[in-house]
Amino acid sequence: MNTAQQTARVGLFFLLGLALTWVTWETLSDGKLFKQTGYTLIAGFENLKELKQGDEVRMAGVKIGSIEKTRLAGRRAEAVLRIDPGVKIASDATATIVMAGLIGTNYVGLDLGTPGAPSLVDGAELRTKITPDINTIMAEIGNLGQKLEGALNSITSSVSGDGKSPGLFQKIDLLVTQNSEKIGTTMSNLQDITTKLKDGEGTLGKLINDPKLHDELLATVAEIKSAAADAKVFVTDTQGIIAQVKAGKGTLGALLYDEESAASIKVTVKNLRDVSDKIARGEGTLGKLLNDDSLYLGVQSTLKKADRAIDGLGDSGPITAVGVAASVLF
Amino acid sequence: MPAMPCPIHRNPITAVESPAVGVTIEGLSKNFGSLQALKNVSFAVEPGEIFVLMGPSGSGKSVLLKHIVGLETASNGRVLIDGHDAAAEGTLEHVRIALVFQAGALFNSLSVYDNLALYPREHRLGTESEIREKVVRALQILSLETTANKFPSELSGGMKKRVAIARALVMEPQLMLYDEPTSELDPVMSATISEIIATLKDEYHVTTIVVSHDRELALGIADRIGILMGGELVFLGPPSELKESKDSRIADFFHPKIDLKNPRFKTLET
Amino acid sequence: MKQLTNILEGFGSAVQLLVQSCRYAGTLPRQRARFIEQCYLIGYTTLPIVAILCFFMGSVLALQAGYSMENFGAKQFIGSLVGLSFARELGPVIVAILLAGRVGSAITAELASMKVYQEVDALVTMNIPPARMLVLPRLAAVLVMMPVLAIIGNLIGWFGGAVVSKYVQSIAIEPEAYFAALRRYMKFKDVGTGLMKAEIFGFVVVLICCSIGLSTRGGPREIGASVTRAVVASLISILVLDYFVTKALM
Repeated sequence: MNTAQQTARVGLFFLLGLALTWVTWETLSDGKLFKQTGYTLIAGFENLKELKQGDEVRMAGVKIGSIEKTRLAGRRAEAVLRIDPGVKIASDATATIVMAGLIGTNYVGLDLGTPGAPSLVDGAELRTKITPDINTIMAEIGNLGQKLEGALNSITSSVSGDGKSPGLFQKIDLLVTQNSEKIGTTMSNLQDITTKLKDGEGTLGKLINDPKLHDELLATVAEIKSAAADAKVFVTDTQGIIAQVKAGKGTLGALLYDEESAASIKVTVKNLRDVSDKIARGEGTLGKLLNDDSLYLGVQSTLKKADRAIDGLGDSGPITAVGVAASVLF
Repeated sequence: MPAMPCPIHRNPITAVESPAVGVTIEGLSKNFGSLQALKNVSFAVEPGEIFVLMGPSGSGKSVLLKHIVGLETASNGRVLIDGHDAAAEGTLEHVRIALVFQAGALFNSLSVYDNLALYPREHRLGTESEIREKVVRALQILSLETTANKFPSELSGGMKKRVAIARALVMEPQLMLYDEPTSELDPVMSATISEIIATLKDEYHVTTIVVSHDRELALGIADRIGILMGGELVFLGPPSELKESKDSRIADFFHPKIDLKNPRFKTLET
Repeated sequence: MKQLTNILEGFGSAVQLLVQSCRYAGTLPRQRARFIEQCYLIGYTTLPIVAILCFFMGSVLALQAGYSMENFGAKQFIGSLVGLSFARELGPVIVAILLAGRVGSAITAELASMKVYQEVDALVTMNIPPARMLVLPRLAAVLVMMPVLAIIGNLIGWFGGAVVSKYVQSIAIEPEAYFAALRRYMKFKDVGTGLMKAEIFGFVVVLICCSIGLSTRGGPREIGASVTRAVVASLISILVLDYFVTKALM
C-alpha cells in the first residue's frame, strides 16, 4: 500500500474518532454549549434533595427543559431551570421536586397554572411548594410503626394482664376454674335429658321420636278443623235456641231462669271443681290418665277411635259429630 | 603492494579531502562477569591504513570492535578516535564511523535503497535529490544498481554484505570497521569483498579496521596485522613480519596441521 | 530478590527510554511518515478486533445484567449499567488489553528482532538513536490513536448491549428506553475519564513493549521470550494502573 493511501486512511480514522467523540459529548451533555436556546427560570427550595444538573423539567408530565445548574443562594437552595423556547409558563404555576423512582431519580414538575395568567419571562422566579421526599415518608412510616407498636402493647396488657391487674383471659380462667363443678353437673344433666329424648323416653321423647304419631296428629288436627266449621253452623242454631231459652220458653228456658234451678246449677259447678281437683291430684280415673305414663296409650287409642268416629261423620249430622267428639274427649 | 600510510582522506562520495583519522587503544580491558574478554590491550591504528585484527573465535576481536564504535563501555582503559573518547556521547557527531556487521544488519523492513538513504535522511544531509545521487553512486561503486528496490530478505549473503558496505559508504565515513566481511562467503565472493576494501582504502584513504580470521584476506590487504588470543594482543606488525614470527601459537593459528594420530579434541575413549 | 531487581531494572529502562524519547519530541514533524505508519498499525488495523470484542463484551454485559437485575426489578437500568461500566472501565481496559496483545506484541517482536539481528546496533553506529526513530513515533501514534479506538469501542459496546436488550426475550427493552437509561446517569465526564484511562494504558503498554523489545539480548530464541514478557508486563501494568488511575480520576 502506498503512503498516500495510508495517510488518507489514518486521517479518516482520526476524523471518525473526533466525530464520534463530539457526537457522544453532544448527546451526554445535552449539547449545552451549542444549543443555549430557551430561557431560564429560578426555583428556590429549602432542600433540593436528589436534584442534580441535567435532570428534567416537566410541565404536566411533558418534558419542557432541564436543570441547568444548582446552587446555594443565602439560606435556600436554587435550581436554575432552562426552559425550551416557545413554552409559556403561567406566573402562578407552582414548581415541586418530584420523585420518579425510589433510587433518587428526580425532576422538577410544574403545574399548568391558571389560564390567562401572564407568562414568566427570562430570569423570573417560580413559586415552589415542598413535597415530602422519600426520607420524610420513611420517617413517617417509622413513626406510624411506633404508634402501632404502642397500641398492640396496650391490647396485649389488657388481655393478658400487665402484672398489676389480672387480664381478661385470666378473669375468664378464674371463673371457669371456680365453677367447673357446677358447669359439669349442668352439662351432664343436659346430656342426660337429651339422651332420654333421643331414646324416646317419656311423653315428649315419644312424641318426638314416633313419626307415626306425628302424622296422625296432623291428620286429626285437619279433621278437627273441618269439624269446627260444622260446629259454627251448629252454634248459630244453638243461638236461636238460646234466645228462646232466655225468653223462658220451653223447658230449658224455665230451667235456666228459675231461681231454684240456678241454685242447683251452682251445686253442680262446685261438684265439678271437686272433680277437677281430684283429677289434678291424680285421684280417680281421669287424674290417673292425665298424670300417668299410660296417657300415651290412651291418647293413641282415643285417636284411633276418633278416626273411626270421623270416618262415620259423613253420614251423621253435625250434632252427632259434636256429640261424638265431646264423648271422645271427655 | 607497499603500504604507505596516507594522511589525506578523500570522501568516496563527494571526493572532498580531509585529514584521515587514527585510532588509539590504551590499556583496554573488558570483563563480562568473571570472564576477561580483553586484557590490557594497547595499540594504535595509523590514519589511512588497513589494520586487520585476527584471532581465533572467542578471542575478543568483536568485543574490541564494539568498543571502538561505542557499543560497549570499557571496564578499564579507553579508545580514542581522532582524539575523542569512543565511549563519550558526542564522538559520533565528530567522527563518522561506519561499521559493517558480520551479518550485514540491514534494516529488514526497508528496501535496499531506503537502507542506504536512511543515514543521510536522518541527519538531513542534503535534499532528497542530493541523497539520491549519493545512494546511486554508492550502489554503482559496489555494482548493486539492480538491487535498489529489493528487500534484504531477497538478497544472497554476499549481496547483503555488499549492500552493508554500500550503506557504510553513503555515511561518507572517516573510519570503516568490518566485522568478518568474508565469513560464510565462497572464495570468489571473498576475493571480491577483499578487493572492495582495498580499493576503498587505495582510492579514498579511509582508515580501515578489519576483524577477520580469513588468512588470505589479511595477508592480501593488510598494512598491519594484530593478533588477539584469549583477550591479549600477541602480535602487532606488518604481514611480512608475521611470516618470520617464531611464536608457536601464531604458527599454529596460521598453519594448523591436521594430525590424526594426536587429535586436538578429546575422543570418547580417553 | 533477582526477580525484584529485574522488575526495577525494567522499570528504570522504561523511564529512561521515555526521557530519551521526550528529548527527541522535536524531531516528530520530520518523522511524519513513520508516525503515520504507526498510526495505521496501532489504530486502523486494530479497529476490527476492537469492534468485535467490544460488541460482544457489551452484549454479554447486558445479558448478565438482565439476568441478575430481573430479580429485583431493575431491568430498566441495564442501559445505565452497560453505559457506565463500558465508558468508565471496560472500554479502556479491553482496548488496552487488545493493544497489548495485538500491537504491543508486534512492537516487541519487531524491536527484539532488530536488536538480535544487530539492526539497533547499526542505528547506534549511524548516530541514529533508537529512541528517536523506533520509540518516539510509536508513542506519539498511540497517544493519537488510543482515544479514537476507545470511543469507537465504547459506542460499539453500548450498541451491543442495546441489541441484546432488544432481542433477548427475557430482557426485551427497546433501544429508546435503553439509551434513555444510558443517558440518564451518565455525563460526558464518565466517557472523558475512560478516554483518559485508555490514553494512559495505551502509552504505558507501548512504552513497556518498546523497552522490553530493545533490551533483548541473545539469539532469536530471546525474541519469543521478550514478547511473552512484554505482554505479561503490559497486562499486569494495565490492571494495576487501572486501580490507581481510576482512584485518581474519581
